[in-house]
Amino acid sequence: MLAAMDLAAAVAPTTLARQRTLPVSNPLIPLFPDGALVRGRAVSCQGVAATSLALALAAEPTTAGAWVAVVDVPWLGVEAAVELGIPLERLVRVDPGLSGSRSEWADLVGAVLDGFEVVVTRLPRHLSATVARRVQARVQAREAVLIAVGSSLSAAGRGPLPLDLTLEATTAVWEGVEQGWGCLRGRRVTVTSTGRRVPRPRQVELWLPGPGGGVAAIEEREDVDVEPVLLSAG
Amino acid sequence: MTMRYVTVWCPDWPVVAAGVAAEVPAVVLHANRVVARSPAAAAQGVLQGQRRRSAQQCCPDVVLLDHDPDRDARAFEPVVRAVGRFAPRLEVVEPGWLCLDARGPSRYFGGDQSLAKQLMSAVRAHAGPVAVGVGVADGRFASAVAARRAVGGRGPIIVDPGGSAAFLDRLPVAWLQHVGEADAELVGLFARMGLARLGDLAALPAGDVLARFGPAGRHAHRVASADDDRRANAEDPPPERRVEQCFDDPVVQVQPLVFVGKHLADQLVAELATEGQVCTRLVVTAETEHGERTERAWYRAAGLSAPAMVERVRWQLDGWMEAGNVSAGVVLLRLAPDEVRGDDGDQLRLWGGPSAADERAARAVTRLAGMVGDDGVLVPAWHGGRLPGDRYGWVPASTTDLTDPDDTAQRLRPDLSGPWPGSLPAPSPAVVQPEAQTATLTDANGELVQVSGRGELSAPPARLTIGDRPAQTVTGWAGPWPLDERWWEPPRHRRLARLQVVTADGTAHLVLAEHRNWWVAASYG
Repeated sequence: MLAAMDLAAAVAPTTLARQRTLPVSNPLIPLFPDGALVRGRAVSCQGVAATSLALALAAEPTTAGAWVAVVDVPWLGVEAAVELGIPLERLVRVDPGLSGSRSEWADLVGAVLDGFEVVVTRLPRHLSATVARRVQARVQAREAVLIAVGSSLSAAGRGPLPLDLTLEATTAVWEGVEQGWGCLRGRRVTVTSTGRRVPRPRQVELWLPGPGGGVAAIEEREDVDVEPVLLSAG
Repeated sequence: MTMRYVTVWCPDWPVVAAGVAAEVPAVVLHANRVVARSPAAAAQGVLQGQRRRSAQQCCPDVVLLDHDPDRDARAFEPVVRAVGRFAPRLEVVEPGWLCLDARGPSRYFGGDQSLAKQLMSAVRAHAGPVAVGVGVADGRFASAVAARRAVGGRGPIIVDPGGSAAFLDRLPVAWLQHVGEADAELVGLFARMGLARLGDLAALPAGDVLARFGPAGRHAHRVASADDDRRANAEDPPPERRVEQCFDDPVVQVQPLVFVGKHLADQLVAELATEGQVCTRLVVTAETEHGERTERAWYRAAGLSAPAMVERVRWQLDGWMEAGNVSAGVVLLRLAPDEVRGDDGDQLRLWGGPSAADERAARAVTRLAGMVGDDGVLVPAWHGGRLPGDRYGWVPASTTDLTDPDDTAQRLRPDLSGPWPGSLPAPSPAVVQPEAQTATLTDANGELVQVSGRGELSAPPARLTIGDRPAQTVTGWAGPWPLDERWWEPPRHRRLARLQVVTADGTAHLVLAEHRNWWVAASYG
């Protein structure tokens, strides 16, 4: 069965999407219709695990040699980035400072896109449609991937920047901490991907982060002897 | 019979090309390192290869310029044309460095001395009062060394015919690296083995050198003995090796021509590679509809890669078209390899370096630093610590060389990274605010939870309030883990307790109790 699939992959015509993609770590692959991050697209990470999701997405491309720029995300935890698999040799942080006008952000992101294939950024609160289109065109022209994090994206609307894919952790359960004892070991999340590039919403259950800090698929475990505190994030 | 060459060398040409006067201290930077410096900067102690910050320390008001090889080539064009009038067989190595066959012109001008003086005045006439060195000797290497030594001296250095070996004898082996005939590794190896001077190297038997150091060493040996500057396995390729493209519609712009040039270069390099050869001397020819022609030879001892060839095609076409000698479109572009040599694999060492992505990122970083300031573009650096945000700090990207792997390794993985007992295990929090947020942790009765000196909580926490946000119910907690850091250093002494708290909305936080107050140090977001 597997051999036949390999053969099929070998003789299938290589479509543009398959060539122009950036890799994604294995546990996250089911979230993407193309099985990878298509270049020129904008992805948004929302919800309680937004930052971890964004870092986990950036991990595989940067390990493969791409450079990642983090623009206007002053709350980035570097140790978490390392644990999620981002090689620090290719990480650069850009801090626009206190001035946060939207045209400056657009110029900054434009300059960043000239040199970096993966850009993680917080979208400014108000973005005019023209500026948003300009940024989107730049992302497509540079064949980069824009990953948006932050709270300026409401649950209902997405702001004017056309987002191809939205990832959100719809349930999040921390394991390891009880009433006065233990230590945070990992978080089981259900990540849902929606958006105009996803015909039907996709879902996958993950450790984000898992024990040791990285992203991992949920495997069957027998040692569930404590009742996990079930939480559902709105 | 070794050919006699005259080399014209303009040191620090990038600074000259940028149009900076000699008395202004200026440096040209590439990837944060000094590539060229003006005489005023050199006088203040700025060295080539230095980091930008070091250069600024030597000379605080130094003018910083970006490296622009195209600008250098364009500025050098008039000089090349002027010198080209002296001799038909001219080759350009790079902007600032020319090499000519000396015999014919020397006879015409009545001797080497007279030829050299004519060249110097020609260069000065077209480039201004720049430092220029001219050297005449047998062999390209000796001539190049002579030209470099002639800079700032009492005039051109003429080495007598047959006197190259004696001229090179007492010079340090580092000259092989300066002129590009050997790489730093090999020269370092020679030095470590006690071969401090070119004469020491030349004194060794050729066979032993080949056996011990390989083809690169053999070449260095020949060059040091002024034997024959062409590699032992160099030969002239047959004429059918050249690649060319004829255009039915004459092309007026440089960009499409360079694009075609790229394909031709790739084709040529691939063809030579199948024979295990690499091109050391390339002749680039372009012709217009009206018969105007540009033809120039480009030489590089280490061999020309495809990107290097394309770069030179662009320089040549830019210079030719800008000079206004072109009245019609180009109908022919030809690349002809004039000299090739066996590919010893040297190339890989010389050009294995930062990838294109690394260079692109480094360039973007320079530009971004210009937009948001040096402190706005940061890279992580290992710091060491127990609390989130302590283990890695941020340093300005301008203080490092992003394309240098040694530099990066130094920054991120220090030799001494202790075990840091007392730090919390992975997973680490992903959200670490620059400033810790004030918080309130209350128990079931609404009283503030306290941590005793012995590390015990007054009551189990029930509600957590972070800053102005609404209070959250605590669904799980662990700790307190006390931390007493740097008790031997009063200003930096920290005594605190840590708690991991999970709230009803599914978030987990790392909460600290310090000075009887609660703070949220980080969130697991």
